[in-house]
Amino acid sequence: MTDGAGTGPGAVRAQGVLRLGAHAFPPGRPVIMGIVNRTPDSFFRPGLTWDESAAMERVQAVIAEGADIVDIGGVPAAPGAQVDAAEEIRRTAGFIAAVRAAHPEVVISVDTWRHETGRAACEAGADLLNDSWGGHDPRLAEVAAEFGAGLVCAHVGRQQPRTRPFRVWYPDVMADVLAQTLRLADAAVRAGVDPASIVIDPAHDFGKNTWHSLEVTRRLAEMTATGWPVLVSLSNKDFVGETLDVPLEERLPGTLAATAVSAWHGARIFRVHQVRESRQVVDMVAAIRGDRPPARAVRGLA
Amino acid sequence: MLVAAASCPAPPLLDRPLTGTDPVLPQLRQACLAAVAALVASEPAVIAVVGVAGQRLIWDPALRLDRGAFAPALAGRAGSGDGLPVPLGLAGLLLDQAAYGGRRQLQSVTQDDSAAECAALGARIAAQHERVALLVMADGSARRTLKAPGYLDERSAPFDAQIETAIRAGDLAALLQLDASLARELLASGRPAWQVLAGAAHGLRADCEIGYCDDPFGVWYLVASVRCSALS
Repeated sequence: MTDGAGTGPGAVRAQGVLRLGAHAFPPGRPVIMGIVNRTPDSFFRPGLTWDESAAMERVQAVIAEGADIVDIGGVPAAPGAQVDAAEEIRRTAGFIAAVRAAHPEVVISVDTWRHETGRAACEAGADLLNDSWGGHDPRLAEVAAEFGAGLVCAHVGRQQPRTRPFRVWYPDVMADVLAQTLRLADAAVRAGVDPASIVIDPAHDFGKNTWHSLEVTRRLAEMTATGWPVLVSLSNKDFVGETLDVPLEERLPGTLAATAVSAWHGARIFRVHQVRESRQVVDMVAAIRGDRPPARAVRGLA
Repeated sequence: MLVAAASCPAPPLLDRPLTGTDPVLPQLRQACLAAVAALVASEPAVIAVVGVAGQRLIWDPALRLDRGAFAPALAGRAGSGDGLPVPLGLAGLLLDQAAYGGRRQLQSVTQDDSAAECAALGARIAAQHERVALLVMADGSARRTLKAPGYLDERSAPFDAQIETAIRAGDLAALLQLDASLARELLASGRPAWQVLAGAAHGLRADCEIGYCDDPFGVWYLVASVRCSALS
């Protein structure tokens, strides 16, 4: 995050370079995070990469399709069978080490709320701690600082990890998103995390009904105006399914529409299942915004 | 007297940023730059640039191509409408790239100018100094293929061949025979500029070298370098 014009309400702060692992991503360069679950029971294509060799093939595939980051998770977001820290580490740390060995350059993210898992992941070579339960364990930021890793600061309202929203309401959902994510980002800075490696995430569906997720998508520019890089995780989520009344396997068009709108508002990291399609959407929007030239322009210019 | 001349095409894609990430035709840009470098090396007192525009005018050499008119995102704004006509603007870029710091004279001619008017203008340009170099920005037919901007017109190949033959042979006077109405139908916008070259080189020996001759997008692009000397 760089210093912008001011800090008062409504002030727009400029986006700065985002540092993750060995990479420095400039503003205007969309970053794709490909999801690789080490779980038997995640909501989208459950068990697809439960097997380690399938997971490694998936890593290779998402990198080949244009992912800059692989996000490795060992615990599903939804409630279900208990996964304690030891089991979560068993599912993720060894695999992260294998990915690091096979792909020295790729940014590795671990999807966890526990500092024990974060530590094991960083020791295995992770560059980013994707704390999708919004600072439930404050020591996670300390681990990020200790290892020079990045940190995702997500909004979950008052949800506990692995719980579903039940009659949640906000006087102003975006105000709550901004307050919580900025508070977490400030806490991360105070804990010693590199400000250039801190990311904020409205966390669609987490602690939100579908109306709330649509609202934060519509008003995402209020997050990008803070100057912090914004991550959005939209992929095949329930707010897409409920909005279009479509089952899981038919959520790609809605996901890509929300992706395009978020990219237009200046989101920088996109956590996705379908990497190739998402890459094309964010690159197209980057060109429409004027952040990226066309790959090859000849029409009308010969 | 004319000491040297160069002929370059004037597609906007000559301006490198306009094609996006892919350089598309690096060899064309390289050939143009080499031809312009040869002009600079001829040590002229002035480099006169001739290109076709809507009006016959002398332009301020401090002006540049209005890139925003083609790619607002690259210029950070829409076109201003007060830049140079495209052929003169591209010539300006080439002279900048060749690090030419000497005097520039930018002259536009129009599709309505006759061969005689163009030749007379060329003679005046050549007579103004002892050492004049001329850069003509001229395109052949834009109707050479089915995918061409102007679709296919079978008359394109012989029309462009007439120009190529004249220049390869150093017989620049033959360019005065180009049919203006056919050129217009073929979208061959370079006809008046080439006829200015013919007038400027009148009575001189012309040794010509072709640096590029192709139609990758159905428009005929020619890059030529001309060295002029008194007839012996």
